[in-house]
Amino acid sequence: MLEGFSQFGSAFAGFMTLGTLVNVLWATFLGIVIGALPGLTATMGVALMTTLTFTMGRDQAILVLVCVYVGAIYGGSRSAILLNIPGTPASACSTLDGFPLARQGLAGRAMGISTSGSWLGTLFGIMCVALFTPLLAEAALSFQSYEFFWIGVFGIVIAGTLAGGDPLKGYIAGFLGLWIATIGQEPHYNYHRFTYGWADLSGGIGLLPALVGVFGVAEVLTAMRGPAYRVTSKAVDSILPRLADVWQYKRTIFRSGAIGTFIGVLPGLGEDTAAWSSYAAARRTSKEKEKFGKGSVEGLMAAETGESACVPGAIIPVLTLAVPGSAPAAALMAAIMIHDFRPGPMLMIETPQLFYQIVAMLVIADMAKLVFGLTLVRPLLWILLVPRERLMPIIFVLCTVGAFAITQRVFDIYVMLFFGLVGFVLRELKFPMPPLILGLVLGELLEQNLTRGLVISSGDVTPFFTRPVSGVLAAITIFSILWSIPPAQRKIKAGVRGLFGRRQSPA
Amino acid sequence: MSEPEAHSVLPHEVPLPPRVDLWTAAVFFAAGVAVVYASWLMPRFQEQLGQIYTAPGLVPALYGTVITLLALWLAARSIGRGALKRGAATTRTRREGYSATRLVLAAALCLAFAVGMVGRLPFWAATAIFVFLFIVLFEWRQGQAWRERALRLLTAALIAGGTGLVVTMVFQRVFLVRLP
Repeated sequence: MLEGFSQFGSAFAGFMTLGTLVNVLWATFLGIVIGALPGLTATMGVALMTTLTFTMGRDQAILVLVCVYVGAIYGGSRSAILLNIPGTPASACSTLDGFPLARQGLAGRAMGISTSGSWLGTLFGIMCVALFTPLLAEAALSFQSYEFFWIGVFGIVIAGTLAGGDPLKGYIAGFLGLWIATIGQEPHYNYHRFTYGWADLSGGIGLLPALVGVFGVAEVLTAMRGPAYRVTSKAVDSILPRLADVWQYKRTIFRSGAIGTFIGVLPGLGEDTAAWSSYAAARRTSKEKEKFGKGSVEGLMAAETGESACVPGAIIPVLTLAVPGSAPAAALMAAIMIHDFRPGPMLMIETPQLFYQIVAMLVIADMAKLVFGLTLVRPLLWILLVPRERLMPIIFVLCTVGAFAITQRVFDIYVMLFFGLVGFVLRELKFPMPPLILGLVLGELLEQNLTRGLVISSGDVTPFFTRPVSGVLAAITIFSILWSIPPAQRKIKAGVRGLFGRRQSPA
Repeated sequence: MSEPEAHSVLPHEVPLPPRVDLWTAAVFFAAGVAVVYASWLMPRFQEQLGQIYTAPGLVPALYGTVITLLALWLAARSIGRGALKRGAATTRTRREGYSATRLVLAAALCLAFAVGMVGRLPFWAATAIFVFLFIVLFEWRQGQAWRERALRLLTAALIAGGTGLVVTMVFQRVFLVRLP
């Protein structure tokens, strides 16, 4: 325990240099701007900055990415409050009460609630990272191929079920991502699958160009197709958070922090699910239910706390299982791998300093977010006034540079374009994108562990179901699939009612 | 290009007609079957004493099968929701403020930049031309006074030139990134 504190202290002290603090400030500011601008998402920001910072020292590069991630998730609330348009999908929930508050002339108070909720949420999540990551990493050391296979399948299914919208389309997107991950050389015989003589495809599809395409190019097309936005409220009252608000809704903050962190830990779900779940839980238990959707301070606090707590939560499975908890965390994981770290159970043994550094980075980013949250009001309003016709071409240029930068292949620009167009069409057809990206990330893990498990057991599939952790993961996965089929869901509910009814009746 | 302004209209709030889902299912069914077929044609390396569990086509075939089954599920569901009924909608209802013309124009400009200009022109020049065209075409309004039009052209030229210069300088000098 004491060694942990000492390692955390030295990691924190290592970042207390002028150059690092300058990096923290510009990266967090950039993150907030990316988050605030509708059409730019946290995933795009982290993916773009991954490619653009890979010549920096690895500690500094990962620090910049963590700051962009933390800032972008918070920044989305600004446009949610002032424009009624979520800056990132994560802040869609904040429009429900943030915008009504702004229309009542309380935009400043809404931003204060957003700042305090987001700051406390991230802080709660950071405590969970510090406490649970070593425990989970230790447990994961006992996992074998069977467990890792189920973690992959569980990730795809749970992301499909809960990523929002239609679970069936989520599953299709997830398996499409898994199939795309099989393109290129396979691991056993170096056989080129689905390449058809195209040498550039032999190395497979790069995660970052695909991410930049799905979350960057598709966003540019979506933004240019949709209606223009306008700032509704330019008059802003005091943005200083009120301690009374924080104290009054302390239970909501605690509950939303826990929900947000838990959703973050689940593979591929991300901040939007965390915000909606926290909001729903707050509404169920609130004494002021009637205010929800009409400018409820509690509702906004719950959404902001939940989405921001999800950020550290999503990093926990990255560090312990090499499975991203959200789409931006997938980009962050790619960055960690590019910088020669090996996320997963061995990380705490091989490079434990990275864990302490990431905790320190999250704390520093959260503090920078608080500072900007209390000071940046007018500059962000000006940025929101930039017309999309002038912003989007610049974003597309940055996407092109980002896709090209790492491997310096023009082919990756084509990958970006392809994924941008496919991502746009799939989104129009209501396919959620997080399962697609998760499939792409988990493809290698899933294939290697499935084939390794089958080879070890000589083709016997029973260890996939009989080992304790495998069995539990398999049961949850099958239950999640059944739950998304309405007739099966009705039968499960009837069965549960019948079971409890029989138990209660003799009493 | 005139355009209406609107408040938030989130695309996922507008439901899709079941017939669109049926067509989508057909595409995924075809894709799934194609993946299974291509996987079946892959070598199994039995002459190298390869086990069936390590055959290159095994895992993609598994994914292809799952995609095919999920596509059938989607098709059955869309039929259950009335996709085959007479008069079922084949396209989604028009959303206020959304424009296919703007979408096509944006996609064409992006493709022209990424495929036609990048690598063929110096990056700063390609960027400047792309940004200039993008701004000018999207800010073009019928019946604009020549003075206002000249001002917009000048603004677009300044933004375009500035972007080309700043992007090239920042990425090459600060981030040490090679540009295409």
